[in-house]
Amino acid sequence: MRPYDPRVTIVETQALTQRFGSTVALDALDLQMQPGVTGLVGANGAGKTTLLNAMLGLRIPTSGSLTVLGYDPQRAGHRLRANVGFAPERNVLPDEMRAVDFVRHLSEVQGLPRGEARNRASDTLWLVGLGEERLRTLGTMSTGQRQRVKLAQAIASDPKLVLLDEPTDGLDPVQRSEMLTLIGQISRDFSINVVLSSHQLEEVERVCDNIVALDAGRLVACGPISDLIGAGDGITLELVDVAEPAGSVDAVEAALQAGGIDVRRHEATLALRGAAFEELCDRSRDAVAAAGARIRRLETRRRTLEDLFEDAAR
Amino acid sequence: MSDTPAPNSSPAAAGEAAQIIDRGYRSYDGPRTGLPGSIRSVVRYSVRHTLGLGRAARHKILPWLAVVIALVPAVVFVGLAVVLDIDMIEDEILPDYHEYYGFITTALFFYCAIIVPDILVADRRNGMLQLYLSTPLQRWSYLASKALAVAAALAVLTMGPVLFLLVARTIEGSGPDGLIEWIKIFVRIIAAGGAISAAFTMASLAAASLTDRRLFATIGVVVLLWGSSFTTLALVEAADMSAQVYAFDLGGIADELKNRIYGVEGLDPFGAPEAREEDAFQPGAGREQLSTRFVVAANFAWVALGSAVVWWRYRRLALSR
Repeated sequence: MRPYDPRVTIVETQALTQRFGSTVALDALDLQMQPGVTGLVGANGAGKTTLLNAMLGLRIPTSGSLTVLGYDPQRAGHRLRANVGFAPERNVLPDEMRAVDFVRHLSEVQGLPRGEARNRASDTLWLVGLGEERLRTLGTMSTGQRQRVKLAQAIASDPKLVLLDEPTDGLDPVQRSEMLTLIGQISRDFSINVVLSSHQLEEVERVCDNIVALDAGRLVACGPISDLIGAGDGITLELVDVAEPAGSVDAVEAALQAGGIDVRRHEATLALRGAAFEELCDRSRDAVAAAGARIRRLETRRRTLEDLFEDAAR
Repeated sequence: MSDTPAPNSSPAAAGEAAQIIDRGYRSYDGPRTGLPGSIRSVVRYSVRHTLGLGRAARHKILPWLAVVIALVPAVVFVGLAVVLDIDMIEDEILPDYHEYYGFITTALFFYCAIIVPDILVADRRNGMLQLYLSTPLQRWSYLASKALAVAAALAVLTMGPVLFLLVARTIEGSGPDGLIEWIKIFVRIIAAGGAISAAFTMASLAAASLTDRRLFATIGVVVLLWGSSFTTLALVEAADMSAQVYAFDLGGIADELKNRIYGVEGLDPFGAPEAREEDAFQPGAGREQLSTRFVVAANFAWVALGSAVVWWRYRRLALSR
């Protein structure tokens, strides 16, 4: 394993495999996570939580190797975890405890001296927008507030890396947006590396610098998000499904496919890839003219995380 | 009005007295306490949790009821002796130190059955266990912290009232003769309390480790404490089996160790050995036939067995999929 360089690699795995009986939760993963905010994306059951648990040393991998911040989680788990904050997906808050006491206690357990833990608990709750609510018991808090408390306890000890498992779960759109802003701020302003597990592709696109995409335990994509998505990727052609001639959209789709174009259709909208932009435009024009269809919209298409997963599924 | 400015009214003085209240979140480069600090924090939190401190009033009732059961008789005995101005020893107002454990055992059983299961079960049910194990704590250090917390809470019950009696007798003038005797009694109180606490701690944690339901854990503790006592008694007295079967009676064998520590031959905490009648039925009387080495080993075995069960349960406990 290469020496740990925090400017280059936060997490590195080689052929990491985790089996539960006959189920393969992680299938020979080879990946590297760079500093910044890394989105760990995939559908439910893709292996995100399993990977997070392995990164914390809470699970012994079936085979392969894993280093986090240069530590082997199995051999130096306690030293690693002193540098890692974790906000699990599960609702883990004891109802009768006050928010400030909860954050303070876990900061102490994380290794902060008592006085420092007390001060930082308050400071962190102010940071996440719960300064006025810090003396409330957790059982009286809303879902959004409880998610913020989980985030606060994860960062209160000033870790080098924070693992957030579905931190926007159960939040409404406004709360979700605020939480994502907060996560971005934590990484940008305080240089804390974040691994954000989510099945919401759009929120990962919004806040993450890098992504690790999993599908049924297999690695779909890994790297800087700017390299993987966002670049021009074909065109979007939206047609008007006219009554006469009937089936004009079907005819356009068939003509383009026959010409070797990669067509993904959703109702009357066709996503076209597989050729240069100019050629796609020319062929679309010809196919539409031949079929007698009418164009409602034609625009450059932007590659998304969804495309990554669809490509992997093919 | 006076022209003399009030003390500390100048801007400079005001500046010296000013404090930054909102420091904001910032990086921390100071010392970290490491694993010992993690363990200390969990022990402190768990002791407070079991005693209901910092929790709603309803969580305080049962633990403090146990403390009351253990301590109030001692307070009443001492209070009566002081108010009535009578000689505690001569008039047998106060029980001897080893005789007081009857009250303590009642409180201990109550505490172990009702309060202790929550200390492990709650963490597994609400996911705090996963959070704890994402810190420098490992499974063994987490369990050690919990065991220390329970033992500390039980030590309050097993040592507190007897230490109170020792201090009260000392103040009243009927305490041990001389410093050496006083220290001997003190050490016996600590040793007996520690031994009883250790055995009860690990046995009740073992029961609590096997289920995620508090009620089932309570039933497990009850079966372990009362069931083992009744079963061994029946086996020895009715089935005429060897007295060594009493090793399986947790409460009895811990009580017997206490007697050995105090140098008492008898087993009934409320009756002196010479007061027994030959033909009278004395529950557990056969324990006095056991060697001290056997009694010590049996208590160690209870601690070891409880520890093994807890470790076996937690070693491979899946936190989440």
